[in-house]
Amino acid sequence: MAAFLVRRILQSLVLVWIVLTITFFLLHLAPGDPMARYDHPDMSRETVMRMRGQLGLDRPVIEQYFIWAAGFARGDFGVSFRYNRPVGEILAETIPNTLRLTVASMALYVVFGLVLGMMSAARRYSVFDRVNTIVALFVYSIPSFWLALMLILLFSLKLGVLPSSHMQSLDSASLSGIPLFLDRARHLVLPAFVLGVASAAGLARYMRGSMIDVLREDYIRTARAKGLPERSVLLKHAFRNAAIPVVTILGMSLPFLLGGAVIVEKIFSWPGMGGLMVEAIYTRDYPVVLAVNFVVAVMVILGNLLADAAYAALDPRIMAGGKDR
Amino acid sequence: MTPSRRPMPAAQGTPGGPAAPGLTEVFRRMEGTLQQPCRTCWSGGWARFRRNRTGMAGAFIVAALYLMAVFAPALTPYDPVSHGSLPEMRHRAPGGDHPLGTDKFGRDVFARVLYGSRISLTISFLSVTISVIVGALAGAAAGYAGGWVDAVIMRFVDALMAIPRLFLLLTCVALFSSSIPLVIILLGATSWMATARLVRGQILSLRRQDFVVAAESLGAGGRRIIFRHLIPNTLTVMIISATLRIGGIILTEASLSFLGLGVPQPVPSWGRMVFEGREALLGAWWVSTFPGLAIIITVIGYNLLGDGLKESFDPVNFG
Repeated sequence: MAAFLVRRILQSLVLVWIVLTITFFLLHLAPGDPMARYDHPDMSRETVMRMRGQLGLDRPVIEQYFIWAAGFARGDFGVSFRYNRPVGEILAETIPNTLRLTVASMALYVVFGLVLGMMSAARRYSVFDRVNTIVALFVYSIPSFWLALMLILLFSLKLGVLPSSHMQSLDSASLSGIPLFLDRARHLVLPAFVLGVASAAGLARYMRGSMIDVLREDYIRTARAKGLPERSVLLKHAFRNAAIPVVTILGMSLPFLLGGAVIVEKIFSWPGMGGLMVEAIYTRDYPVVLAVNFVVAVMVILGNLLADAAYAALDPRIMAGGKDR
Repeated sequence: MTPSRRPMPAAQGTPGGPAAPGLTEVFRRMEGTLQQPCRTCWSGGWARFRRNRTGMAGAFIVAALYLMAVFAPALTPYDPVSHGSLPEMRHRAPGGDHPLGTDKFGRDVFARVLYGSRISLTISFLSVTISVIVGALAGAAAGYAGGWVDAVIMRFVDALMAIPRLFLLLTCVALFSSSIPLVIILLGATSWMATARLVRGQILSLRRQDFVVAAESLGAGGRRIIFRHLIPNTLTVMIISATLRIGGIILTEASLSFLGLGVPQPVPSWGRMVFEGREALLGAWWVSTFPGLAIIITVIGYNLLGDGLKESFDPVNFG
């Protein structure tokens, strides 16, 4: 198991490295200049050239690559062109914000997805199941940015019950303890809902299918025949086995959530990596683009590894059968 | 009937090859009998599809959308791009001459949504075509060749899948100034990985089957086996997965346009229209709302159609 994990991690890191190298050369060879935004009559050519020199942009691309790569290997992500600060520092500020949003969404995603899927399967072809299927199809097809705007329109602008942007109120510096927590929680509701519940529709459909398969098994009939209440048949016997294949979906949904976070963070002015990425793209802040891609790729790989490990832990047949790709 | 059983050097017609032309023709015909087009499965599938209510509803929605896109000029007298006279035309509420209202430039929202469907439908259709072709080629190469070719291609697929598509797209969009062909190519180039996995899996199971083994023993080369025997047999799976994927592509295109990195101005694109409406969300909710509804209806249409095709033609591979 340990050897398997180590090999997977090493393989994945090599892959990420290759992808980042390709990205580096694409970014540097493509048209567009990070210095373009200093293009201003007041700015003398000498100053711009000096800044280029400081940022290392005057060197050949190959040399820039090795400087960047050597720094990267030591954990130094370079200096942001735009903020003139180490990228590592900027990431240290933004990653926790994105994680807060992603973890909250993930929780909503899992709870809504599993519970709705299970309830649909338990009452298959009932009115509830049909309504659930139709609503899921609808939600599944909603663009997240549109849903976000509609919720802002309803809850922030019309009803005025929830804040429409940022992570906390402007006067939050004066708060502490429980009021601060509540303030932050209120700001989290809409973005986490948009990101989590909207994606839960797909998970619910998957869970429903998995649960229906399990409910056909003999041991479920046995459990019912020996007079167990339906509730415990569903929760204790069926749910556990139905959830196993769903774990893989959970691992794969992480890129989806992180990608969705780009949009959601932009709409809700959430100071996370998504917003940082979009800004960096607009301003051609290459070190930031590369570092964000790296962090996101590592998060996704870790998520997949966790899912694989959980899968193996939940289903002993996998390791016994020697699952090896 | 066949005097010699030695493998043919190349089945795709090298003129003046060592084998007599008559012999090539015989092999061709023998090979032709190996791949049975299975008419019964197809007609059975269509019969099932016609009885499939969700699938037919999806087909109806998609067909209606294409008709509306084609006949947009006949359905609205307004121009989607040129500005109206601002003071009196700006942000008119829905009703009367403007069933869905007007935007901040006094343009008719209904006309813009109609013309926007051309952009969404074209981009999504072409992108999914690119993604299916690239995915099929990569998957077929990986599945048929095996060994290190398979390892390299599939690890590359894994790597691309490890970076969320939107991040990948944003990185690529940064390189060039955005244009419609660029958006089509990028969307196609970043969504072929799932098809590659699917096709590879199909090919791995197909290539052990008798008709492929027989074609190989008749001397058909790798390229011929892939294009004549393997890919045609994965077409159903590819078409279904493409239909199911097209909704996601529409959503991604809309997201890109919403971020201002997709279709350039002033082309009416649904994602951009939602973005433009957000400045006046409270006063003029219709500017953002209706393009969003158009996106939802389109995506639902394709998803229903894909589900229907899946249930009718290939319930096995798609669980």
